[in-house]
Amino acid sequence: MVEQKPPTIRSRAITLIHEIPIARIKQFWDGLNEGKIYATKCKRCGKLYYPPQVDCFKCMTSDVEWIALSGEGVIETFTESHLKPQGFTHYEKPYIIAIVKTPEEAKVMGWLEDIDIDKVRVGLKVRITTTRKPDGYPAIVFKPST
Amino acid sequence: MRRVAIIGVGNSKFGRRDDALIQEIAFEAFREALEDAGITQKDIDLSVVGCVGTRVYEALPAVPVNEYLGLIGKGPIRVEAACATGSAAVFSAYNAIASGCVDTAIAIGVEKMLEVDTPTSTAMGGRGGSYLWEFHMFGTSFAGYYALFATAHMAKFGTTEEDLALVAVKNHKYGAMNPKAHFQREIKVEDVLKSRIIAYPLKLYDCCPISDGAAAVILASEDKVKEFRVEDPVWIEAIGFGSDTSNLTRRTDYVGLPAAVQAAQMAYKRARIEPKDVDVAEVHDCFTIAEIMAYEDLGFCKKGEGAKMIREGETYIGGRIPVNIDGGLKAKGHPLAATGCSMMYELTRQLRGEGGRRQAPLKHNIALAHNIGGHGFYAYVTILRR
Repeated sequence: MVEQKPPTIRSRAITLIHEIPIARIKQFWDGLNEGKIYATKCKRCGKLYYPPQVDCFKCMTSDVEWIALSGEGVIETFTESHLKPQGFTHYEKPYIIAIVKTPEEAKVMGWLEDIDIDKVRVGLKVRITTTRKPDGYPAIVFKPST
Repeated sequence: MRRVAIIGVGNSKFGRRDDALIQEIAFEAFREALEDAGITQKDIDLSVVGCVGTRVYEALPAVPVNEYLGLIGKGPIRVEAACATGSAAVFSAYNAIASGCVDTAIAIGVEKMLEVDTPTSTAMGGRGGSYLWEFHMFGTSFAGYYALFATAHMAKFGTTEEDLALVAVKNHKYGAMNPKAHFQREIKVEDVLKSRIIAYPLKLYDCCPISDGAAAVILASEDKVKEFRVEDPVWIEAIGFGSDTSNLTRRTDYVGLPAAVQAAQMAYKRARIEPKDVDVAEVHDCFTIAEIMAYEDLGFCKKGEGAKMIREGETYIGGRIPVNIDGGLKAKGHPLAATGCSMMYELTRQLRGEGGRRQAPLKHNIALAHNIGGHGFYAYVTILRR
């Protein structure tokens, strides 16, 4: 027996695109163009923030310095996403999302490329790079250390 | 703090509900809860509607829901705590009564998730993590987030994909016995392992479905319990809570949810019980790995031994502590805001002995609900006692 789909009416469409203010975190977004990942460090208490933030919730001051993370890390966990949310459906292949720990003890999320999912392991050493995808969006990309 | 009891519960059919509007689904759960409590709208002082929204055409769904249910004048708030919204609604209603502000309150969790397509629903979920630092660049989704936990848990503790599959098999077994469940079909380990990959190592049958549904919980003060002559009140002994970062990268590790541990310890302490006192539990198995981590975070077993519990069948009826014997999020379905209220629905009925073929044996008359928002942003652990 084929169930008949109940009747529906279509809603009015809405387009929702945000202009995200990056005035205070521009260094991070500029860094992506230069192949660098920036964190912030509180000048007063030394707390490292990644993702970067310009206000320190530990000592409640707003005096931070920008620190470029070293371009290497070790994979702590990973997944290969076959599920693509709206905004990512134009990426043809599944993408590998990984979290790596850097020597500065920052943890960075990125896409792992140039490796087959079967070869990826927790503990794998990677280089941290940046790229700009054909659609114009920047990305942090990990590649296996050679 | 005044004592607060659950005096009525209702639960709509969960599943793809193209047949009904959000308020019509809320009505199903609401009517059942009113009938269960034996009261009417005039006996309710406060309505707390939980709805994550964003996938339903209404932008502020609590307003039309309260109107449709005849709760005009009683609904000044809408609650959201991601997938823990239902528990947050119960928490709000509970506190309003415990504080003496009102004598009766209803928590209604309702969600329509299937009015938009799957990539849109997935995006609305994924954007509910850290949009700026995670979704924007990497297209994170909740299957992806829990997959990151699964990979780390497997690497650290030797948990296997077969272990994860065992959780799905158990929950489908009980879903098949629950007429309100989204999926009412038993599955085998091979079915899980052969299903398509969603986010490695999670496969289709490791993931809860995208569901529509509603559940409602009516709460009352001790005086009202007497006034209404409620014969079988279920008391809320304690509600523990916790919260954590939106950025998964800011966690220490990926093998458990610190917010859940915090909530559990708070709840046990406030209720003056230990994990071994719990007769039956509902845990937040949005993905199979989440149930294994829940066993550990709740102290049902030691950290890293969650897989052993499911391997040895300890969470089946007849095991040490039956878990998700209504099918869980995995098979019953996970209409986000409805889930926490639906956990109260199931546990209230279990404690009353109304579980039928799915009744858990009761020794201490204590039940526990573990409801998580996101990848551990929010956690509520609620202890019920009859």
